[in-house]
Order: sequence, then C-alpha cells, then structure tokens
Amino acid sequence: MKFRYTLEVLTIIAIVAFSVILLYSGSNVNGEKFAGTDTAGSQGIAELSGTPLENFQPLIPQWKPPGTEIESCLFALQAAIGGIIVGVVFGFWIGSGKKA
Amino acid sequence: MHIMEGFLPLQWCIIWWIVALPCILLGMYKLRKVLASDREALPLLGVTGGFIFILSSLKLPSVTGSSSHPTGTGLSIISFGPWITCVVCAIVLLFQALFLAHGGLSTLGANIVSMGIVGPIIGYAIYRLLRNTPVNIYITVFLVTAFADMFTYITTSLQLALAYPAETGGVASSFILFLGIFALTQIPLAIIEGFVLALVFKYIVALKPDILIRLNIFSKEKINAARNEAS
Repeated sequence: MKFRYTLEVLTIIAIVAFSVILLYSGSNVNGEKFAGTDTAGSQGIAELSGTPLENFQPLIPQWKPPGTEIESCLFALQAAIGGIIVGVVFGFWIGSGKKA
Repeated sequence: MHIMEGFLPLQWCIIWWIVALPCILLGMYKLRKVLASDREALPLLGVTGGFIFILSSLKLPSVTGSSSHPTGTGLSIISFGPWITCVVCAIVLLFQALFLAHGGLSTLGANIVSMGIVGPIIGYAIYRLLRNTPVNIYITVFLVTAFADMFTYITTSLQLALAYPAETGGVASSFILFLGIFALTQIPLAIIEGFVLALVFKYIVALKPDILIRLNIFSKEKINAARNEAS
C-alpha cells in the first residue's frame, strides 16, 4: 500500500523542527526576544543615516493601534478574514462535489 | 518586509509608487478578464487570496532571534500570475498600513513592489520554467512559494540600500547589512511556507482538479498523476 500522507508528515516535521530549534535558540535583538525584522530594519536605517530613531516622522499621518494587545487583535482579525474565506470556499467545493 | 512609514525619503516613495501603480492597474484589468471568462475562478481566487491574508498576518520566530512575516503569495502566483497577485497584496498591505501601522501609505508603493511585484515575478518565472518539465507539481509549488518569499525580502533590502547607501562601501555594503537583517531571518520561514502551501495545493488538487485544468495551471496529465499519487 502506498503512503498517502508524505506531504502532511513533511510539513509537520518542518514546523515542529523549526519551532523547537528556534524557540530554544532564541537570542536577543536589543533586549526584546524575537523582535520583528521591521523594527530591526528601522534600527539599521537609523544607524546608517546617523539619525536617531525618534527623528523619523511619518510623511503621511498614521493611526497606530493603541498598545500591543489591540495590535495582536487586529492581526488575528486579518488572519480570521483569510480563514473564513478559505473555509467557505473549501466547504463550497466539498458540498458541490458531493451533490455531483 | 514592511518599510515603516517615514523611513523612506520622499523621492523614493514617489519612485516606488510610480512602479507599483501600473502593475496594480494591469492586475485589475486581468482580474476582470479572468472573472468575466470563468466565474468558477472566483472561489479559487478566494482561497489563494485568503492564504495571503492568513500567512502575512503571522509573525514567526526565526534563527536570528527576530521574527518575520511569511508572504503566502505562492498559490496566487501559480493560479493567476504575478499581476493579479499584486492586486491582492495591495489590499493586504493597505489593511496593514491603515490598521496595524505595519508599513505606511507613503511606503505602500515600495512594499507593493517587493511583496506584490518582484517576489511574484520571480516565483512565476520558476513556475513557467518547471511547468512543462516532469518535476512533481508539489515541488513546483514549494519552490515558487519559497523563492517568491525570499525575493520579497531581498527586494526590501535593496530598496533600503538604495535609499540609505553606507558612507563606506555605498549601496553594496548597506545591501549586505539589510540582507543580514531581512533575508537571513526569512530562510527558515520561506521553507515552512513552501511546505504549507504545497500541502494546501494538494487539497485543491483533490477537491477541484477541473478548475486547475481549465485555467491551464498544470496539464491534465500532471494533475491526474498527482491525484493518483494521493489516492
């Protein structure tokens, strides 16, 4: 019998292996563990241009989520929007496949 | 890969907007054409676009001790090509600029160029190269996804290097600095993303092979071979 789930197993191995290795080897970027590369990139710009970080002002005024909790909520909302669409379409495909 | 609001000088914001706008318009034109010719493409567009929404919202930890976003563009690139992918990326990036302060309106053009144009074009080139070879379709999806993701971040590094050349070594030396920040972090994430989207593609092949054949994404023989492998 042929094994049907090679891709599933490989995906799980990749995710588990990486997350275990990464979370145990986590080093510090400016005191904050696993800070975003966007932040690190901004710090790189500040170093290169010799301008302190706080001197970079938005060119177009920008609304910022008040606090990290709200930010993570909005990120979850973004993922949820994607997840709902994917779920609806897969459900639709499975349903229409059964009818046919 | 988001270049934060205010971190790109005005002239570079304008240049990247000028590059991005025609691509978005071309993408909208192509999108209308695809949907007018085949309404069944709409659910596939929903799934491929939905994965861009999901994956680009995740911040995953990586080897350098920092974390970064996958892009999730692979499925959309293979199914609809780089221009339509550009439109979906523009929507996601606009959402993140307006509500999450990730990227900004002035740097949106630059971010669309990296995630929605250069990454997808590289991915699409790989797909075209491998489509008519005997290479397994899941390996094709994996490679397209991983390379589109990597080149998104390489482009961001180049954009920042062009705007901020180092005093000694110029653009090349700051390019290497930004590659160290962005590209290195991205390698494991690109690999994971490649596996995940290849897996999703397996389910699309199982559920809706006819749409993939009708849109001529892969040949009938390849799709059928992949289906037989899975059953």
